[in-house]
Amino acid sequence: MSDRTFGLVLALPAIISLVLVVGIPGVQTLVYSFQRVPLSDDPATFVGTDNYAKILGDESFVESLVVTLQYTAGYVVLSTVLGLLFALLLDQPLRGRGLARALLIIPWATPVIIAGVMWKWLIDPSVGGLNAVLFELGVLEDYKPFLADREWALVFTILAACWHQASFSALLFLASLQTLPSEIIEAAKVDGATAWQRFRGVVFPWIRPMLVVVVVINVIYGVLQFDTVWVMTQGGPGDATTLLPILLYRQLFIFSDIGAGSALAVMLGVVAVLVSSIALILLGRGDPIEA
Amino acid sequence: MHGANRTVRRAVLQKRAVTALLYVALVLFAVWVLFPFWFLVNNSFMTPDEALSVPPHWVPEEPTMGNYQAILAGKVAPGGAEVGLRVLTALGESFAVGILTVVVNLALGGTAAYSMSRYKYRGSRLGYLSVLFARLVPPIAIVAAFFVALRDLGLINSRYGLVIVYTSFTLPITILVLKNYFDGLPRELDEAALVDGASRLQALWYVIRPVARPGFIAAACLVFLESWGEFFYALTLTNQLTIPPVLAGFRGFFQFNWTTLAAATVLAVVPPVLLALIFQRYVVRGLAQGVAK
Repeated sequence: MSDRTFGLVLALPAIISLVLVVGIPGVQTLVYSFQRVPLSDDPATFVGTDNYAKILGDESFVESLVVTLQYTAGYVVLSTVLGLLFALLLDQPLRGRGLARALLIIPWATPVIIAGVMWKWLIDPSVGGLNAVLFELGVLEDYKPFLADREWALVFTILAACWHQASFSALLFLASLQTLPSEIIEAAKVDGATAWQRFRGVVFPWIRPMLVVVVVINVIYGVLQFDTVWVMTQGGPGDATTLLPILLYRQLFIFSDIGAGSALAVMLGVVAVLVSSIALILLGRGDPIEA
Repeated sequence: MHGANRTVRRAVLQKRAVTALLYVALVLFAVWVLFPFWFLVNNSFMTPDEALSVPPHWVPEEPTMGNYQAILAGKVAPGGAEVGLRVLTALGESFAVGILTVVVNLALGGTAAYSMSRYKYRGSRLGYLSVLFARLVPPIAIVAAFFVALRDLGLINSRYGLVIVYTSFTLPITILVLKNYFDGLPRELDEAALVDGASRLQALWYVIRPVARPGFIAAACLVFLESWGEFFYALTLTNQLTIPPVLAGFRGFFQFNWTTLAAATVLAVVPPVLLALIFQRYVVRGLAQGVAK
């Protein structure tokens, strides 16, 4: 067997698997989005763009899109900024840093769904601890059922997801910071650069490529967020936290409309790609040193 | 002289203030990570009544193992209705699905990543690009196709069904992490083995596999963590087979109480956290080099 054939044979099982479990389901979803798919074994019928028209003509889609973009904006900013702050902090030569870095990995290792369970009950007015803390500190005048309030529900479903994701961002930022040669920082110090100048002039340009990666990943995870919202509010109160993935779940598994659900799924994928492209373009601009 | 001294003293004071601030930040960071956990673990050792006390108790006054015992006895609450060993069964299924997914990933991904790192052939570039593309397909978007396919195959509510589905989003990660690792290994290793008369497969199995252990550990951990925490597919393609949908659906059970859910959640969060802590170095490197690319 020639080297070429050998290489191909080694790679083939994985490639075939990916075609089977990603390629075909992807194409199938696209096909379903133009079909009416009965629940029984009866064959599906072609309906053109009816499913798309149905989704786009539904007011709840537009509302959900707006909520999803709000959610994503909050999620991306919070998880990225917190992650950056954590990474900068844990990059300092502090006592207990090793322990703190071990702590950093815990929220990331905690599944998002579990973060949702923890936060749901943490902020619960009857058993939760957060209300008590805020009440004792004088921030709250009374125990508050946060998840029954439209704005607070959105804030806390974002916060719970960010508790997990900020750690993810921080781990990546920290990995990038650790590759920064200490001589560069020392040289900047000798030249009398202040901490802020060192950050702007040396550290930030260094981690910028990683920042782009982290933001794009966070955007995608934000647009596709399902777990925390499902377990904390199931999309409520009202439609306050009905993100597109929640809407998708309802189309597919509550209304059992596979055609319309698939159309929504395709659009969800498009939204994820569009928003992350916008983030990429925005981040690509700016600093002439990097460009 | 006097002025210079004052400047030095001010600089020292300033430095101390900054250091103090950094330690305050470090404490706040620890609170951010641990406060939700403290609350969870604390409640898992409380009676339902004590959990309702106002203001809440920060340590249980009458610590109880009742919640954990209820789970071990297959109940949803101390003295509550029988629901069978639902939590324990689900934890077991989560382990089974996780381990099977890891095995499938390492076998398929290991060989593919090695091939992509070492061999060039017609379409090899296309193969690599298809991996990158597969990584971009949102799992949630293709659930309808999986639902219909698994239904037709009779694999709804099956651990094997979940393993197949989980391979769709874990295999690209495995390939990227391992290819990255293989790329860092000198080609002389393979070549020396071949010169010594080993076959190409033997070179991979006896020479590269042991050397690439850290890469395999990283990939295995990442895949297990992804699999353990996966919720959406487990919710839609099974009837609460693994632990995530069981936790999310706890309220639906008869005689719900939060403290037993807390105990179940503790049991569900210990395995992934322990795994990540034990293999911290490997996992973080794999994350930075494979996932971020």
